[in-house]
Amino acid sequence: MIARNFPLLTIMILLICSFIMPIVKEAKTFKKLSIISMGASVVLNISTLIYIKYDGSFFYRVGHWDAPWGIELHIGMIEIIIGILFTLVASLVIWYSFYSVDTEIPKEKIRFYYLLINILIASLLGIVYSNDLFNSFVFIEVSTLASCGIVVIKDKKENIKATLKYLILSILGSGLFLMGIAFIYSITGNLNMTFIHNELAEIYIKYQNTILISLALFTVGLGVKSAMFPLHIWLPDAHSNAPSTSSALLSALVLKAFVFMLIKILLRVFSLEIVIQYRVLDLLLILGSIGMIFGSVLAIMQKNIKRVIAYSSVAQMGYIFYGIGLGNSLGLTISIFHIISHALTKSTLFLAVGSMMEQTGKNLSDLKGIGKEMPVTLGIFTIGAFSMVGIPILPGFISKWYFALATIDASKLIYLGVILLSSLLNAVYYFPIIINGYFGEENLKGKVFMSKNKPVKELLPVLILTVGIILVGIFNKGIINAINKSLI
Amino acid sequence: MKSTILYEVSKFLIPIIQLFGIYIIFHGHLSPGGGFAGGTIIGAGLILYRIVFGEEKAQEKLKYTKLLNLMCGSLITYGILKGYSFIVGGSNVHLFDIPLGKPGDILSGGLILPLNICVGIVVSVVIYFLFNLFYEGEI
Repeated sequence: MIARNFPLLTIMILLICSFIMPIVKEAKTFKKLSIISMGASVVLNISTLIYIKYDGSFFYRVGHWDAPWGIELHIGMIEIIIGILFTLVASLVIWYSFYSVDTEIPKEKIRFYYLLINILIASLLGIVYSNDLFNSFVFIEVSTLASCGIVVIKDKKENIKATLKYLILSILGSGLFLMGIAFIYSITGNLNMTFIHNELAEIYIKYQNTILISLALFTVGLGVKSAMFPLHIWLPDAHSNAPSTSSALLSALVLKAFVFMLIKILLRVFSLEIVIQYRVLDLLLILGSIGMIFGSVLAIMQKNIKRVIAYSSVAQMGYIFYGIGLGNSLGLTISIFHIISHALTKSTLFLAVGSMMEQTGKNLSDLKGIGKEMPVTLGIFTIGAFSMVGIPILPGFISKWYFALATIDASKLIYLGVILLSSLLNAVYYFPIIINGYFGEENLKGKVFMSKNKPVKELLPVLILTVGIILVGIFNKGIINAINKSLI
Repeated sequence: MKSTILYEVSKFLIPIIQLFGIYIIFHGHLSPGGGFAGGTIIGAGLILYRIVFGEEKAQEKLKYTKLLNLMCGSLITYGILKGYSFIVGGSNVHLFDIPLGKPGDILSGGLILPLNICVGIVVSVVIYFLFNLFYEGEI
């Protein structure tokens, strides 16, 4: 019974601990505080998972007021799996950042960096857990400001430019989201998702245009924030200029929370039966497939390694939108599974690339022969890249396989070609990095074996993430079943 | 800024502005106003002090670390007080509740008054910091 309080407690622990950080004096103390609070949230989330496994999903009333007036949290299997994913990835990224933060961020700003990470993760958990539209909007605003903060913290010219672009576009996104809430509120008179859902089931025939407008506003607003293809223009700048730990968090977690919010709105507020009558899902399907192809094509043209990975995020977000757009339960399940697999993989890739960039340069040509100097790091990168391309056992393969099955289920066979083409394009930009790193007489000339390798202690968090990728791949059946069961 | 008139007038005015801000914070649960409005007024008083008396004197009185600690302290207090109320309400246990008092008194309304004070402190400090960031580029 007491486990019901844990999701709210997680958010509160993270928020309260974040404001202790500016007060403490020693650098060691606030670093410890940051990792301890994040680790505690992982433990609390896992115990909630065990509770939900036996007692099922539940609504949690925040404060003293019942549902239509007060705020509610809805904690189900999917929410808690994503909560564990977020806190786990964040704690590993924080652990990794202890060894790299001094080189990338000015010294007096390090404590604010950890403060922002804590606020960011708390607000993302809030978006995932909340059952109240306006409450989610508040968390979305908090997460927008915090994620802009962790980009600009490097305090270089290009950072400020990238952040301004990011800030303007994502504020536009949250504005559209707020407008969507306004339209839906004006016809249902509720902000609680369950109540809106019940109300809409009765009145949706009368207000078809209003529902269409608000659906479009939600889709575009959250699409800007989660880099749906033509709205992705802020992403490459922001993700490639940020410190590598920030890029890992932004790419792995921040985008995912917004896309999960979109899934929640389509499923729990409008329900699939209503959404299918409008063309919104087709829009998601088409934009998703264009993103899958063009994200990869744009990634091929880049010279900076971090921009390559950032454009690869656009392509992978395309897969998630594509899965939602298919409009059947298998597609949605695999979209959520892809959220998990991509979050683990992309954070691994960014951290591995970050440690390679510390030793060499940021261009693809600098990374030639890196496999001899840093074999372990490039090995980690290789596993991540294999998962992105879709080599069996790894989660990238699993999600592509099931995306194909879901496409056949929805009898949209043409789109199978899109999945195939996108996978091949992924291979085109990931394999040259690996091949030039490990092989080639010219590349390896004059390189000393293991000369730039990092100590195992510093690589441990990334290694754990890699193990996580492989484990998710092996236990895919269980995860997919749990998501599928909780979806309906 | 050197001007005797400004100097003398603001010497007289700043305490009144701050007193008015405190009044609005403390009457937040009784009349229009509250933590945010009162905090902005106090912040305006601090900004006036900084403009009139100059950077050095303001930094002597309103030290950056002191204000930051004050702000973080009130944020933590807010989090703990409201979090306690959230958890107690959410899990349906009836532990200690702040007594509600007589309606119309200053000491009434349960948690609203302490929370308003916390908000007032945070807002006034943030307003002051924001002004300094845009006026001089540093706090």
